[in-house]
Amino acid sequence: MMRDQLGPTVSILGADGKQTGETTPLPAVFKAPIRPDIVQSVHTGMAKNKRQPYAVSVKAGHQTSAESWGTGRAVARIPRVSGGGTHRAGQAAFGNQCRSGRMFAPTKTWRKWHVKVPQGQRRFATASAVAASAAVPLVMARGHRVSEVSELPLVIANSAFAGLEKTRAAVALLKSIGAYADVVKVTKSKKTRAGKGKLRGRRHRQRRGPLVIFNPADETSSNVAKAFRNIPGVETSSVSSLNLLQLAPGGHLGRFVIWTESAFNSLNTIYGSTTEAGEGKKNYLLPSNVVSQSDLVRLINSSEVQSVLRPTKGGAKQKKGGYAGVLKKNPLKNKQVMLRLNPYAKAFAAEKLGSQKVEGSKERPGLTETFKKVLNSA
Amino acid sequence: MVAAKKHVPIVKKRGHKKFNRHQSDLYKCVPSSWRKPKGIDNRVRRRFKGQAAMPKIGYGSNKKTRHMTPSGHKAFLVQNTSDVELLLMHNRTFAAEIGHAVSSRKRVEILAKAKALGVKVTNPKGRVSTDA
Amino acid sequence: MSYPNLSADVFWECTRNRSSYMVKRGHGTSQTIFSKEPMNLKNIHSRKNSGLVNEKAIGVMPGTDRGVILITKTSNEKNGQKPIKLFQKTELKKHNRKVYGSIVNTTAKKYYRPDLRADAVARASAILHSQRKQKGSSSSA
Repeated sequence: MMRDQLGPTVSILGADGKQTGETTPLPAVFKAPIRPDIVQSVHTGMAKNKRQPYAVSVKAGHQTSAESWGTGRAVARIPRVSGGGTHRAGQAAFGNQCRSGRMFAPTKTWRKWHVKVPQGQRRFATASAVAASAAVPLVMARGHRVSEVSELPLVIANSAFAGLEKTRAAVALLKSIGAYADVVKVTKSKKTRAGKGKLRGRRHRQRRGPLVIFNPADETSSNVAKAFRNIPGVETSSVSSLNLLQLAPGGHLGRFVIWTESAFNSLNTIYGSTTEAGEGKKNYLLPSNVVSQSDLVRLINSSEVQSVLRPTKGGAKQKKGGYAGVLKKNPLKNKQVMLRLNPYAKAFAAEKLGSQKVEGSKERPGLTETFKKVLNSA
Repeated sequence: MVAAKKHVPIVKKRGHKKFNRHQSDLYKCVPSSWRKPKGIDNRVRRRFKGQAAMPKIGYGSNKKTRHMTPSGHKAFLVQNTSDVELLLMHNRTFAAEIGHAVSSRKRVEILAKAKALGVKVTNPKGRVSTDA
Repeated sequence: MSYPNLSADVFWECTRNRSSYMVKRGHGTSQTIFSKEPMNLKNIHSRKNSGLVNEKAIGVMPGTDRGVILITKTSNEKNGQKPIKLFQKTELKKHNRKVYGSIVNTTAKKYYRPDLRADAVARASAILHSQRKQKGSSSSA
């Protein structure tokens, strides 16, 4: 195909949502291997790095001078609160099984809260997530409503952002490019959170909408960030600091990403390619695909593979076979097979021997004359 | 309503409703979910006369009819009409079972949808007034 | 697919365990996995039936008031990256048998997913059956 030889290109949309006619070559990041396993493991690590330590008080359950009564008092040897004059005296203390005792294995602030994820893995996962954001089935399977979008990756011309200062204008832009259905999905999804999170600043939960990625070098970048930030579910990110937690929320590939033209064009300079390091990532080469053709059917049917295959054993007969490689046919139902096994079957059927009555005397055995003779002679 | 697919007869084994954990009837702190007794002297483990029965493979039902309701369908939990639509091509194997927390208004919608699609509903009477 | 890293096989491996269309019920041996994809003829979450993953797929949906809507996918080479052009919808409102005929003629007879022929007709038939006027409401529910 012509397009393959030149390398795939992506068309750029204007503010009205129509193609401007201009195209831009697809950055090399989009050819990175799609690896849900790597993205997921990196995501689980990275998601932990925002945690704040918590623990119960070190003193909890230990603010008493309880001591065991020892043996001989017909009570358990658990420490007991000393003194008298109050109900508390004589009650068990300290143990995790005790009322107002300390918890089992009290939580500590020095728990291992954060996980160090190697930089190479983080970059691999980010590249993979960027590549997956261009895969229509993956974006749809993530739950984004993109059926009205003209093309993925979705690139919007720089000119569309020039006067874009108000959220109203940003909404109009999302509507014109067919991305507003995804925002509607978010607004509809807003629900009160179950559990204690409600009291802790996480009152509601809702889906994620499109991610708008801009170039911080642009003059319009601050406009973009401000105009989009109050639309439910819409997030913005700078192309120079892409975040896996935004590109693959929940570790699930295929975030719906809206690129500004200059952000899209800067991807090659930031990430480089599989052979040349980019400016943004020092000494880093993009991961290359292990197989150059990921379509297995095409791979199997290719002339290279087909030409070295040995012919099928047993021909067509074997294909239907069971364990022996031959289809077992029931001779009682299949006449030809029956004849092969039993040539007499033809004559047997023709003479209707199978339905003939058994001929013979009706005398019961043991009551015949011969039998009587033999019996009496003895 | 579409009848269930032809299947081997469902054999209902006589017997046990539920296997409760030994001594769960005596102590509040012993929950009823089954745990196999492991003690060296345990009378349930040693299958003494009059003791609770323990689960074993013989209580299992035929694989072909496992999870089947007497009508020959398997129950599929639905919460809304779009869940019922999933059963469009499976109304001979699956029957819809409306979730317990579904309101009566939505139940009416679900029942109407199920009727149109020929899907059996295992609990059509719940929360829906009888004169409807 | 014009991108070398994207293919139906990759998509299936990514979506077989995580997809917003997946509906799981039950545990262990009693677990069933259905799919809410609009282009899934049997609503079964599988490589063959998935309309999202496969380059060619058939979907049959109920029409606006009656009849069915047949959905097929346009050329993946051309439109694989263009969601708005990827799905082709045709509304079929004729007599039932003609609907089945046109489904088969536009798909299986043109070597477009002939493996789904029976499923597509069966689904269309089930939808058309559901659109028939209900008998009196007195019949048992």
